Amino acid sequence: MKYNIKLVLCGLLLAASISSCSNDNDAQAMMPEPMATCDDNIMNGDETGVDCGGSCSPCETMSMDPDFSGTFAQVDFMGRPGINTTLSFDMDGQPSVKDAHNVSVPSEMTSIFQVGFEARLEQYHDVYANKLGLDPADVNYEANILGLDATTLTTVLSADVLEVAPDLPTTYFDPGTDNDNDGRLLVPDGDEVALTGRKLTDDIIDVSLILFFGGAEGDRFSGQDLNMDGNADLPRLTSDGVGFTGEVLTTFPYIGNPE
Amino acid sequence: MKRTTKFLMGLGALVATGLVLVSADHIDAPSSMGTTADIADFYAFEPSENSDNTVFIVDVQSNVLPELAYGNFDEDVLLEINIDLDDDLIEDKVIQAIPRDGRMYFFGPAEPSQTGLNGSILTDAPLGDVEISSTNAIVETTSNGVSLFAGPRQDPFFFDFFQFNAVINPDVASAPGGFLAPDTAADTFDGANTLSVAVEIPNNLLGTPTATNALGLTVYNTWVTSNRKQ
Repeated sequence: MKYNIKLVLCGLLLAASISSCSNDNDAQAMMPEPMATCDDNIMNGDETGVDCGGSCSPCETMSMDPDFSGTFAQVDFMGRPGINTTLSFDMDGQPSVKDAHNVSVPSEMTSIFQVGFEARLEQYHDVYANKLGLDPADVNYEANILGLDATTLTTVLSADVLEVAPDLPTTYFDPGTDNDNDGRLLVPDGDEVALTGRKLTDDIIDVSLILFFGGAEGDRFSGQDLNMDGNADLPRLTSDGVGFTGEVLTTFPYIGNPE
Repeated sequence: MKRTTKFLMGLGALVATGLVLVSADHIDAPSSMGTTADIADFYAFEPSENSDNTVFIVDVQSNVLPELAYGNFDEDVLLEINIDLDDDLIEDKVIQAIPRDGRMYFFGPAEPSQTGLNGSILTDAPLGDVEISSTNAIVETTSNGVSLFAGPRQDPFFFDFFQFNAVINPDVASAPGGFLAPDTAADTFDGANTLSVAVEIPNNLLGTPTATNALGLTVYNTWVTSNRKQ
């Protein structure tokens, strides 16, 4: 502000045709020129616009407001982590399923993608049947720790949304919790908290691997040494072996400073 | 893990063979991978116990591979966080973010002008804007208690990317033992950065959900899209 409040008030009073402005700054009231103020509806003084710029507050450049017009079309999509990556499968010479997933809406995803997701889940098991020297027909997905068969699991996952609970602690899933102390990792019995969002530190890869390859106990293919000869006889498919090593801030925006 | 020459050579080989389709959503499909609109990750969580807020973090772009677009938000790309309250998997509220001249502008949460694949910016529902940060986080908090952020961040995702590609390779000689034990596994994303957009918002601005998850718990169904100006 180029003048103090008292003088501005004085100017306002003058503008309103009130006869005088009697206070201890009478000298100002006797100035022959009208005072340039930041609210006189005239561009004067050092203003760069009407009552703005210069020593007034910056002008709101309405003409330079950002342009937010236009139509925007979806090009990428994400709900739960890793769904399109692990369960969509592109074949040579065929339209890309992965691209199709990214330009779909959740309400239509199950009808479009569930069959392919289930086939992909079985295909992963065939890959390891072959690596184990077994007949692929004999190595199939088995219902997981949530008790979901292949069709149900892929139906749930193909409706690709990340659920987040407003009133509960967040955990994508905690496969290390044996809430009912039955020796199994997690068998739902009604009091679990899971699928309530995704924290920065949640090991969503291991969770996904356990749901895909863990079977009912969560450890079906976990590198077991069946004959105790010191070598694993089953592949390790329920954990990728890495955990969170980054930085999380205690306050917003929580996600750590760039490296 | 430090990035070694061997590591980068390995990545280059994977790019060349078209196997670079991994991770949370980073680089997940041929058309979007490596573009300025490529969604890398999406997080939604309660920031602290008994909080009445929800935090959404959307990561776009990644420098985990040298060939990828990384570094600047694209003014032609609108990011949209979608929230379904009633379990029909159709968005009831959206929060939008788009950059203009070094600032990220946010709109909503409000009903979208239309649901589905196409939309426009909800200029009647401005939420606020924040200067796009560089290294240190610049945060704005609006009068209704919404916190806003946009800028480069450490990519928090972790995954042994190389071994995953070996595991899913049908060649019987490829990773017959599956993933590696913790002492030899390597987090490919260690050292990578991403461009983050973060919003912490009071739940009462999002509405009351009736949707439930597979365990019967009340949830918002959420997802994020990137949308390019036509």
